Amino acid sequence: MKLFIEQILNGLAMGSIYAIITLGLALVYGVMRILHVAHASVYTVGAYAGVYLFNATGSLTLAFLGAMLLCAVLGVLIERLVYFPLLKCPPYVPLIASIAVMLTIEEVCRLLAGPQILTFAARLPFPDLDLGGVHLSSTQVAVYVITAGILVFLWYLTTRTEVGLAMRATSQDMPIAGAQGINSHYIVSLTFVISSAIAAIGGILVGIYYNQVYPTMGAVPAYKTLALIVVGGMGSVPGAVIAALFLGLAETLLIGYLSVPFPRDALAFVAMILVLVWRSEGLLGSK
Amino acid sequence: MSGYLVTILTQIAIQAIVVCGLNVIVGYAGQISLGHAAFMGIGAYSAALLSTRAGLSFWTALPLVLAICALCGLLLGLPSLKLKHDFLAITTIGINFIVQAVFLYVPFFGGAMGISGIPRVQFLGEPVRGVHFLYLCLACLGVVTVVSWLFTRVFAGLACFALREEEAAAASMGISPVRFKLLAFMLGTMFAGLGGSLYAHYMRFVSADDFSFPLSVSFLAMLVLGGMGSLLGPLVGALILGALPELFRPLAEFRILFYALILLLMIRFQPGGILGEASLVRRRLYPLLFGGAK
Amino acid sequence: MSGALLQVKNLSIHFGGLRAVDGVDFEINRGEIFGLLGPNGAGKTVTFNLISGVYKPSGGEVWFDGRRIDGLPPHAIAALGLGRTFQIVKPFPSLTVLDNVLVARGISRYPRAACLWTSWRSGRERREAMALLERVGLADLAWRKAGLLPLGNLRRLEIARALAVGRKLLLLDESFSGLRTEEIAKLEVLVRDIRAQGVTVLLIEHNMRVAMGLSDRIVVLDHGRKLAEGPPAAIQQDESVIEAYLGRKSGDQASPGGGAAHAS
Repeated sequence: MKLFIEQILNGLAMGSIYAIITLGLALVYGVMRILHVAHASVYTVGAYAGVYLFNATGSLTLAFLGAMLLCAVLGVLIERLVYFPLLKCPPYVPLIASIAVMLTIEEVCRLLAGPQILTFAARLPFPDLDLGGVHLSSTQVAVYVITAGILVFLWYLTTRTEVGLAMRATSQDMPIAGAQGINSHYIVSLTFVISSAIAAIGGILVGIYYNQVYPTMGAVPAYKTLALIVVGGMGSVPGAVIAALFLGLAETLLIGYLSVPFPRDALAFVAMILVLVWRSEGLLGSK
Repeated sequence: MSGYLVTILTQIAIQAIVVCGLNVIVGYAGQISLGHAAFMGIGAYSAALLSTRAGLSFWTALPLVLAICALCGLLLGLPSLKLKHDFLAITTIGINFIVQAVFLYVPFFGGAMGISGIPRVQFLGEPVRGVHFLYLCLACLGVVTVVSWLFTRVFAGLACFALREEEAAAASMGISPVRFKLLAFMLGTMFAGLGGSLYAHYMRFVSADDFSFPLSVSFLAMLVLGGMGSLLGPLVGALILGALPELFRPLAEFRILFYALILLLMIRFQPGGILGEASLVRRRLYPLLFGGAK
Repeated sequence: MSGALLQVKNLSIHFGGLRAVDGVDFEINRGEIFGLLGPNGAGKTVTFNLISGVYKPSGGEVWFDGRRIDGLPPHAIAALGLGRTFQIVKPFPSLTVLDNVLVARGISRYPRAACLWTSWRSGRERREAMALLERVGLADLAWRKAGLLPLGNLRRLEIARALAVGRKLLLLDESFSGLRTEEIAKLEVLVRDIRAQGVTVLLIEHNMRVAMGLSDRIVVLDHGRKLAEGPPAAIQQDESVIEAYLGRKSGDQASPGGGAAHAS
């Protein structure tokens, strides 16, 4: 029983990490209708920036802030140099461009930092918990707390601030939002800033959680998170989060705990197909 | 011709065949497919199983391989009827992962060990090897290209173009979206299956890793680079992206980076591809070659 | 009813809670030019979409040439000889004008296996397609990419394509919109010509003069219901019609929500 609960907590931790990465993707899709596959490479850059800054300064705070800043800039550059000029093209064009950007960034990371796995031996300033015999590491606690924090921040931003309202308007209907005086390009760039900064947080958390940072760490999340935003309903952040949590649980329980012989990576897509068959706009999507 | 050159050209030819199939689905019918490598894999595994387990030769197995791939293409086509573009793109990615998982985990397909010992193609009692196999691949490429060309000249092909451009209007002219999209998928996956079968008899060993998602991406990249919807686009794309890693061999470290950068620059500045409508090549080179505009 | 080519019986469709078309009845006889009028949001294009198969009705029936067609997909209805234009023009942008018409010329081939081996590039097909372009006055633009044409020409292209398909009935959705005076006059002549060749025409039109001038009979819709039916003279005098059109003051932009994006 204890083992089961621990697996659930592991699953939720995994799911939370997926959620952090996925919601950036959902935010971007919401405002720009683009599948920002390269988001996963932004997350990789965040992990690298974090580990380098931490090793150089010993300060996790600096690592987080530096990585968030770097990724925010990277995200906006991608948006302005690659996606925005391609807005008028058929949808496969920005998708291929995104894949190309992702490959480029991955390769640059590999060339600059080397293909080997770096360790990220940091300790997050959270306590280890022992709840009635169930053990939670400080990293896991950190993951829960930080994920919750990000969700609260986003909720506050989108429902209580003007900027958030502008973001929601832009995601509903860009031309009309523009007619209302909202500078939609600014909003789009802001969305990239926010999602990329969140991706940086995700990258560092993953780096610490698994104690691994390597160039292709974005590859698997890249495609799983696509499946997750479909399941959640394209552009729906709450949907993406729920889908991510479920996937984390499913992967850990089915494969880790019950040892079902099925490849983890395909599980996300099987789930996606099942959901699509049932509800073709995703769990919380709108037609 | 050196053995090295023959090897490269054979690989390029096989890939060009597969990309011609993608061209029918994406270029002609306007559907998105990011899982095309899975169909090459289905063709390859079918050929592998039919030759190693059922003892069929490449030639007798071929109709079966094509039929299996056409059937799979039909099944893939079905979600495309219901799903909008972004959903479809992601679903095709998923299909790639799922098919690969099936090959890896279902023991019938040899699991992680794949299928080995695939015999060479036999012609008139002699195994076809080396430059002769290249000729075989080129002949198949020729057939595939001619079939594609014929397809563009008949009403079925025109129907696909119309669906690509404007589905509602096409339907109002008697074009059944279901029928013609499925037709395009079947044709496209059959070509992929042919490429897969040639691949299997060439490498004489297939495993699930050979048909992963990055391969689907490179097929799409070849198509985009060469010019989606153009007849020779797949060949040009396969040639360039197939030759590139070899040309950059001395700079092996930077190969993937260059590949990615070329793809990025190409898609960013010339999304129509080299042989696409508005491309630099068409605008500058064609008048020189063919004199004057229409 | 041997004369009736098209019969619409108690036709209805709901989008969510909105009844975009509610119990509409009318008949069109062979060889007529029939007008479907009504203020913005009356449900005219929705009715077209119901007849041509784009929408499936929630209730009622549509009969065409003795066959029941409601619920059939658009391509099947087109194959029966019903052609239509779209209010928001839908050319095939990267195909040439001629090729656009050639697509429509394939109407008899697409349902059969012959489409796999019949060439659309033959001289005969080209000539037939050019003939259609000549009828609408687009022959000298045959080689232009359709995506580059201005609206007036695109409307004519829509008609040329619909002509190829609609050997029995032609649905014209606001085909006179956005045209200049001389273009309108030419189009009126064309529509009469089409009728003279035995094709029945059903048109939606906002231009009152054109609608009254061309139509043999008219049905007026308002808020999805039939308001009046009869020859133009009777309609012009009809109190309820006048009120529906003129009695509107502020913001009557009530277009059916949900699926019908056009205000018709």
